[in-house]
This record gives sequence, structure tokens and C-alpha cells, in this order.
Amino acid sequence: MKILFAEDESDLRDVVSTYLAYQGYHVDAVSNGREATERATSDSYDAIVMDIMMPEMDGLTAMRKIRESGNTTPAIFLTAKSEISDRVEGLDAGADDYLTKPFAMEELSARLRALERRKRDYKIRIMTFGDLRLDTETCEIRAQNTIGLAHKEVRLLSFLMANADRGVTEEELLKEVWSNESVNPDTVWMYISFLRAKIQSVQAGVTIDGDRAHPFRLKEI
Amino acid sequence: MEQNHLYGSCGETMRRVMDSVMKRIEEYSSQYEKEHGEKLYEHLSGRIKSEESMLSKIRRLGLEENTQNALRSVTDSIGIRVVCLFIDDVYENVRQIRNLSGCRVVTEKDYIQNAKPNGYRSYHLILDFETEEPDAEGHTPGHYYVEIQLRTIAMDTWAALEHEMKYKKDIVNQELIGQELCRCANELAACDVSMQTLKRIIRGRYLPYENTVC
Repeated sequence: MKILFAEDESDLRDVVSTYLAYQGYHVDAVSNGREATERATSDSYDAIVMDIMMPEMDGLTAMRKIRESGNTTPAIFLTAKSEISDRVEGLDAGADDYLTKPFAMEELSARLRALERRKRDYKIRIMTFGDLRLDTETCEIRAQNTIGLAHKEVRLLSFLMANADRGVTEEELLKEVWSNESVNPDTVWMYISFLRAKIQSVQAGVTIDGDRAHPFRLKEI
Repeated sequence: MEQNHLYGSCGETMRRVMDSVMKRIEEYSSQYEKEHGEKLYEHLSGRIKSEESMLSKIRRLGLEENTQNALRSVTDSIGIRVVCLFIDDVYENVRQIRNLSGCRVVTEKDYIQNAKPNGYRSYHLILDFETEEPDAEGHTPGHYYVEIQLRTIAMDTWAALEHEMKYKKDIVNQELIGQELCRCANELAACDVSMQTLKRIIRGRYLPYENTVC
């Protein structure tokens, strides 16, 4: 499980990073909101843990920016403030949970486990790229006309759409779309082929770039 | 005009035109089968539109009830349907039909790439077929329109059900059934496209990670 951790106090950053790494998490630690938004769009994470009060860009602004980009990664705010209004604002900015400092490390990792269990429920109903529109509820794509998608194709396309700013690797797709299933990389290219054919059949001005050596990425034709 | 006289002396010629176009389709198909070892279509059928339904179509269009309008203003008096296994086969049939001698493609409508809002998918071609026999306007050689509809078996099954719904007047929940039919059309299209992709992969025409068909 890969975690993005944003905290400006270097001592706390080091202690939490070390603890989470010890728990088996891979942790990318940054020290402000601007770096957090950059990392959230240039990489893909299983969870985000973020401080509210940070220099350059505060956690609330960073959270809003991350959510605006279509990123639904589960997020926890760490806040020194115990004001109700801060917690409300944090949750409304797109966080899923919060912890008030000081907090117990065990509680942080328990909350991360709870978020992971619910991760599959996070879904945006309508996603778009160019003239291509994906409805994750009816499992259909639409451009000039409409066609149905298989469940795995929906997960694959929504991941490509959520990460349209960067390329995603075969390895990431295996993890994201075929989590906990024993499939080989040929499955990825078969589903990429299915999706390419379906995107073409609705006559969208969009294609999927990439091959075994290069990351997959949606591209407007 | 009595309805069984709408086609007049052209009635017999229409049947011969239909048979002739169907024979040519059978011919290119058996030639293709010899070369590639597989059929280009599963079913081939033809019909002459009944004079009764032609008459109601002419009335609906507000035209005068005569042979000329039935055969030259309306273009589907002679209809042929080609039902295929795969989408690629539909387009191969279209290519073959375009190359048929003695007829000219007047219009083409690709409702596979541009499905109708209700979900209908098919490829429509209208041919202008030339015959030595006279036509509705008295010209010799005569010209007859032939409408050809090409589709996959899945599209054909869907169209059969949609046709039944359209012509049955007293269906309860017509709107709901229409919506569900549209969903079925999109699911069937998904299967058609997936099976076509698998066929290409099996045939080795899609190399891993290649963007295009080789």
C-alpha cells in the first residue's frame, strides 16, 4: 500500500514515515500542500495523509485541488486544531477522515486499514476525457453513440481517465484493476485492445497510447 | 388504384431483379469462401414489399398512388438482408457489393458506426440496378432500386424484437421497454466488438500492444 504523506514539521514527518514504513507501507513524504498536489497527480496512491496547516499551500486548498482533478484516493487530515469548523471544512474539502494531534500511531494505521476496506466504494459517476464520456453506474461509454463496457473495462478506463495527466504502467494497471487476482500481463493488453476497439466504435476522438515499453495514456486524436 | 395493381407490369421484373442481386451476392460469397475458407454471411434473404404496406407508405409520404412513386420515389420496394457473424464481415460484404457490376450505389448509411438513438445498428445500401426489362418510367434498360441491409446476428435479433415492439400497439410500459431495449443494443454491440477483437487476436492480426490492425 502506497501512501502520500504531507507534513511540514520535520520531526513528526520522520516519526510517522518510519512507523508506517515499519508497518509495511510505502511512504512518499512531502512538506507542503503544493508538493502534495504535484505528487498526487504525477503518481498514484492508495491513501493520502495530510496536515492542514502547511506553508506554501495549506492542506484544505491542496485537498480541493486534488479532488477537482478527479482523484478519489482516500484521504485523512491531521489537524492540530480541535475546532469543529476545521474538521467540517476538512471533510467538505474532500477528506474522508481526520485525526486530531496528538494521535496514537496505532489509531492512524487502523484508520488507514478502514479506508482501504472502503476504497472500492469510491466512485465518480460520470468521467470524461475529450469527447468520451464514461458512466461508471450504467457501465457505458458515449461519444457519437453508446456501447456497454465490462466491469474490468470500466475500472481500466476510469483509472486511465483519473490519471490522464500522466502515463500509467502495466504494473500499476495490474495492481489497480486486477488487484488480488492472478493474471499475467497479456491480460492487460487484451483489455487495452477491447477498450481501444470500443472507443473506436463510439467514434470518440480519443485513443489509448502506449505499449509494453511505454506507459498507457489517453490521447486526443 | 387497387392495391394488388400498384406494381403493375413491373411486379415480375422486381422479383427477377431481386433474384439477380441475391445470385450475385451468393457468387462473390462462394468465391470468397474458396479463397479464404470461410463464409462471408450466415443468412441471405430477400423480400418484395407487399403492395399493401407500400400503399400505406406512399400515403404517409403524401405522394400520389402510382407505380412510379412506389418504385422510384420510395427506394425499399426490393429489399435484401445479409446477416453476418462478425462486424468485419459486414464491411467486407459492403466492399464486395460496391464492386458489383451493373449496379450503382446510390446511398450508404452506416448505422453501425452511427447507431440510431433507439440503439438500432445496421449498414444500409441503396443500389440502382440496371436491367434489360423496362422500369416504372417506361425506360429500357430499366432502373430499379434495391435496398440492402447488412448486420450481425446480434443486431438482427435485436431488430426483430424492436420491430415487434414498434408494430404492437397496446404494449404496457412501452417507454421502459424502449429504454431496456436500448441498453440491450449497447450490450450486444459491446459483445460484437469484443468478439471481433478476440477474433483478430486469435488470427494474430493484433500484435500485443499494437494500436492498429496489421
